Order: sequence, then structure tokens, then C-alpha cells
Amino acid sequence: MNSLFVTDWKLMLLAGCILALTLFIPAPVQAMSGRQVYEKVHELRTRGLDRQTEFTMTLFDKGGGTRSRTAVEYGKKAEGETYKVLVVFKTPPDLCDVGFLIHARTFSDRDLWAYFPEFKRIRRIPTTSQDDSFFGSDFSYDDFGGPPNLDDYTFTILREEVLDSRPCYVIEVTPKVPRKWSRNQAWVDKELFVHRKIVSYQGKEPYRDGTFTDVRIVDDLPTPFRMEMKNLKTGHRTEVAIEEIHYHTSFPDDLFTQRSLERAGK
Amino acid sequence: MAVLRGYLGLAISGFIIWVTPCIARAADDVSLAGRVKLSGDYAFDRQSVKEDPSLTARLVFDGRQDAWLLHSQVEGSWEIPGDDDRQGIAFKRFNAVYQDESRFLELKELVVERQLGGIDWRFGVQRFAWGRLDEYPINDLFNPWDYGKFLVKPMEERKIGVPALSAALGRQDWTSQLVWVPWYIPYRLPEPGSRWSVTPAITTITAGHNSIVENTPQEEDLPARTLDNGSIGFRVQRLGEIEAAVNFFHGFDPRPVFRTTSLTVTESAAGWVASPGYVPSFHKITAIGLDAATVAGPFSLRGEAAYTGNRVFNVRQELWRYPETQSQGVTPLNPIEIDSDTLDYGIAADYRPFEDGLLTVQAQQTMILDRPDTLYERRVETLIWASLKVGWLNQKVETSLSLASNPEHGADMVKAGAMYIFSDSWKAEITAIFLSGPPQSLFGRYAANDQIGLEVVYQW
Repeated sequence: MNSLFVTDWKLMLLAGCILALTLFIPAPVQAMSGRQVYEKVHELRTRGLDRQTEFTMTLFDKGGGTRSRTAVEYGKKAEGETYKVLVVFKTPPDLCDVGFLIHARTFSDRDLWAYFPEFKRIRRIPTTSQDDSFFGSDFSYDDFGGPPNLDDYTFTILREEVLDSRPCYVIEVTPKVPRKWSRNQAWVDKELFVHRKIVSYQGKEPYRDGTFTDVRIVDDLPTPFRMEMKNLKTGHRTEVAIEEIHYHTSFPDDLFTQRSLERAGK
Repeated sequence: MAVLRGYLGLAISGFIIWVTPCIARAADDVSLAGRVKLSGDYAFDRQSVKEDPSLTARLVFDGRQDAWLLHSQVEGSWEIPGDDDRQGIAFKRFNAVYQDESRFLELKELVVERQLGGIDWRFGVQRFAWGRLDEYPINDLFNPWDYGKFLVKPMEERKIGVPALSAALGRQDWTSQLVWVPWYIPYRLPEPGSRWSVTPAITTITAGHNSIVENTPQEEDLPARTLDNGSIGFRVQRLGEIEAAVNFFHGFDPRPVFRTTSLTVTESAAGWVASPGYVPSFHKITAIGLDAATVAGPFSLRGEAAYTGNRVFNVRQELWRYPETQSQGVTPLNPIEIDSDTLDYGIAADYRPFEDGLLTVQAQQTMILDRPDTLYERRVETLIWASLKVGWLNQKVETSLSLASNPEHGADMVKAGAMYIFSDSWKAEITAIFLSGPPQSLFGRYAANDQIGLEVVYQW
């Protein structure tokens, strides 16, 4: 009986200590799922849709030759998932005033048009071409096409890793329907929720390797000012440098019409 | 007089080139782009007419000041070393059919644009692009074509800018455009004796006749510059899953036809001079058309159709009544014009078989509703066209292959090209073209013009 009391007393003391410890030790953060991480990424990208971006794209041959393109991108967010994007090239002379226009009814349902001033004709582009090279670069049309539809992918956190002194989630992003990339491995900044690196695979082989650096906070939105995409098969690579970016813009709907596309947004 | 016109043209172009930077300094947003192209051809048929290498320059200016936009495009070409008999540079005129291709300056576009009351107003020398088909569009009728170097030039470069007033209004998914061309601008044909000229039946008469030293088709007086002789059209388009447009055009047919006068052969000190007895003919048509585009899976589909009233065709050349043997004097020729309503329709599909590859297939037909037996054209004329463009090494190299066929007459065209982009400014392209078919068919009339061409282009 006594021993039992002693035992009870010891047990109560132990329980009290544990209780006290649980009060003073911070509770562990609820781990995020891959989908939740991407919802954050998606939210930031969606908030950044109203914008004007001027960028330079430099294409590097394996042999060291370079070609460059400069362009302006205008974006406008509307209700729900609706948004519009107009991209117009300024240089080189071959591409001057070439543009493409996106009308997204939802994140998964977009109309794309391209305009080539040399032919004075606008062409609709099937969305099946969205993974094709964006004007000879190692980026795809989809990379410039606004946020993806999250329901079209599965997201699995593989691990956490520090990349360039930044803690990141390493997430496997797999499309549910067949795409050019069978899967992507993405390094998402744990604090800023922007991509730091993406490796895209075709089958088991890594095909392209993208890095996103020089992240600055512009109008409360973390923005990588330098992006590099490397084709691991050909050795070709493309750098995109943002020259100027303005968020929370409010462009008129007239800017996102076929007529505006024909006039290079002028 | 021609020399004077040449210098006048040079002066106008010089003025535009001089005034452009002045406007550039005053405008809010300006761009000045240019292109210089050195090109030369090797003709496979040694008997065919040769062309000297040429240097072509283009200057494109865009300027914006407040709500005003100014766009201009001037082009000039000089053959090297050039025909010594020619003097000065001819300015391409808006009132002549036969024009020199060897040395010229041309005002391709000069447009002022202003938005007023939600409508985009454009005034000046303009080129339009209605309809959806490539190469031989059905509803694209405002701009007549320049047939100099026909089939070698891309379609947009064939178009002659016309002085026009246009108004475009956009409301949500709807866009409408009204175009008025106040006076008629004729199509242009290369001068006889040049590589891409097409000289009807008289060629066969004079071919073996060494004493004929000159064969000069005559210009025809253009329709009077009155309001009645303008062209007008409107287009209403709606965006959606299927983009569709309705087109209306009433004005002069941009396609060339001729009417006969009389074959006249006279004697000069050098020999006989023949006036072949036909002149360009100009006719008004009315066309009502539809066009549409959509995407279906990996295909981008396009189509258009038009019903055209009062189109004029020429009868077969053997019915023009050229005499079997040539003699001096005047020989009346038969009337050669037949008018008929036509129904044109065509479809096209773009498909990317692989990344950086674009395959376009197009089929179109012209149905001549009241066709008499005297026409060379069949009741239904078909044109099938396919093109494959492929970019290599991240589009540093571009290759293209185009095939066109007019099966009713067994006429075909094959075009193949390869372009290498050295840098943002420099590129070179090699193109070969092969044409075959009966002499009066679309491609067969140029059957002697198989050639391989080289272009070196510098752009800024």
C-alpha cells in the first residue's frame, strides 16, 4: 500500500514534470503537405498576376554563341481564376513586335494566340503546345503562362534541404495527365514560398535544370530577378533577367485584345 | 519623264527618311528598324531570263505621341550591277500596272492611327489581312498583289499598300472593322522580258520571229478617281471556342485579268515592234465571306469561304485569235473576258508533330458557277498546299519545305529552304524552287523559272 502510494507519488511528479515541460517547450509546427506548400506558391503567383515585367532573355549555345531577346509582359487578374497575359518582344529585329496573348478562363483552361507581324496574322495555338520551347529558349510557353491548375498535379515532399543558405522543401511535382515532363523536382523556399530550383525529368533522366536567384521583395511579393534554364541533353541554356517589374498594376481590358496583340500593345 | 519620277520618288523617300528621326525626337515612344538584304539567284534553265543580284533595303518606323501612332515602311531595291540602259530609281507608282523591278523605291505603309470614342481610326497607306488561309486567301481582297518575283516572295510582301481609311471597334468578344479605299490601286505586273513576267499568247507568236524587237503591253487607263470607284468592306469577328467572322467586300477585284484590243505590228529602224493587243482590265466584284478558327486537340484549324459576284476570267489563250503568221498591220483579237459568280472555300490545319516543328496543310477550291467551255480553268479548281517548318539547335537553324499542287492541271510547286542565324543581326538563307505544269496553269506558266537563291540579311 505504502509502496503503491510512493509509486503513485513518483508517477504524479513525473506527470507534473512532463506537463510543465509541455507548457514551456514550443509545440512542433504542423508539417505542411506538398499540396499546401504549392497552395502558398500558387497564392503568391496569383497575387502577382497584375504586373508589368520587362525582361532580357539570353540564349547560350553549347559553343558559346549568344542571342538575346528583350520583351515586355503585361498581366491582369480578373474575377475567380480568370486572368490575361500579353507578351511582346522588342528585340531582336526578327522578333520585334511578335507577341502572344493568353486568355485564361480558369487555371486549366486557356486560349493562346500568337501574332507574327511579318505575316500580319494571328494564330491560335493549341494548349498541347504549352510545353514547347518559348521562342527558341529553354523555357516553355507554360513557364510564361501564369499559375498552373494545382488539381492537375500531385505533390509529395521528398525532404527538406538547404540550398544556397536557404532552407527549402524539396517537392516532387507529378502531372496527372501526360506532359512533356514526366515529373519535376522543385526546391521551394520555406520562408518565401518561391521556387529556388526545378529539375524536370523525362522518364528517369533529368532533362532540364532551372535555378531562380536574386530573389527580391517587390511590393510584398518575393520575385526571382534572375532565372536560368539549362537543357541537360543539349548543353544549351537560357538566362532570363528581369530589368524592371511593377506589381498591382491596373491595365485596361483593351490591352489584352487581338487588336492590341496586332499593335504590340501600343 | 520616268527619270524625273524616279528622282521625285527618291526625294519623297529621302524626305521620309530625313523626317523620321525628327519625329522620333519629338515622340514619346519610337522605334526604328531596318533590314538590308543581298540576294542572288542561279537559274537552272539556261534559256530562262536571268536576274542580276540585288540589294534590298527596308526601313520601318513606329512612333507614338499621346494617343497618336505613326507607322511607316519604305523599301528600295537595286540590281547589281544593274541594267545600264536604265537611269535613276523608279518610285513604285499607285497608278500603273507594269513596273520596273530592277531599281525601285516603294512606300509599303504609311499609317497614322488615333483612338477616338473607343474606335481605332487608321488613315494612310495600309495592308490588311482578312481571312484565315495562307498563301492564297479568299477574303483578303483590299490589297492587290505585286507579281514581281511572284511565288518567291512571301504573301505579305506581295501585297501592295493601298491608301485607306479604316475604323476598328472592339467590345468584349466582338471586333468589327470598316475599311474604305477611296480610289482604285491596280495590281502590279513585272515588265515584259523580266524573269517573273507572264506574257500571254503573243509569246508563242513572237518566239521564233527574230525581227520582232519589242513586245510592249500597254497600260490601261485606270478607273476615274471618283467615290463610285472606291472599295469598301467590313468585317465582324467574335471570339470564343470557335472564332468566327463575317466579311463583306465591294470593290475592284485584286486578281489580274486582261481585255483584248488589237495586235499591232509596226516597223521601226531596228525591226518590227509589236503591241500585243491586250491591256490590264479592272472589274468590280462583291464578295460575302465567312472565316473561322478553332483548336481541336493538337490541331489549330482554320477555314474560310466566300461567294463572289461578277468575277472575270480570261478564255484559253488559243481562243484569243492571234494569227498563225505574223505580218505588219493591225489584227483585231477576240473578246476574251467571261464573267461568272464563284464560290471559294478552303480549310487548313496546323499541327506540331514535334517540338519546333510546324506542319501546315491547306486545301481550297474555287467553283466557277457559270463556267463556259472556253475557260482554261475547270468548273472546280483545287489548290493543295503543305508546309513543314522545323527549327533546329534552339531555332538557330530553320528549314522549310513547301509543296503545292493544282491537280486539275497537273501543276506543282516545290520550295525548300534552310536559314542559318549567325547572330541577332545576321542571317543567311538558301532557297530552291521548282515549278512544273502546262503553260497556262498557275505554276506551269513559270516552269522555266526553277532556281536556287541565296540571301544574306543584316537587320537592326
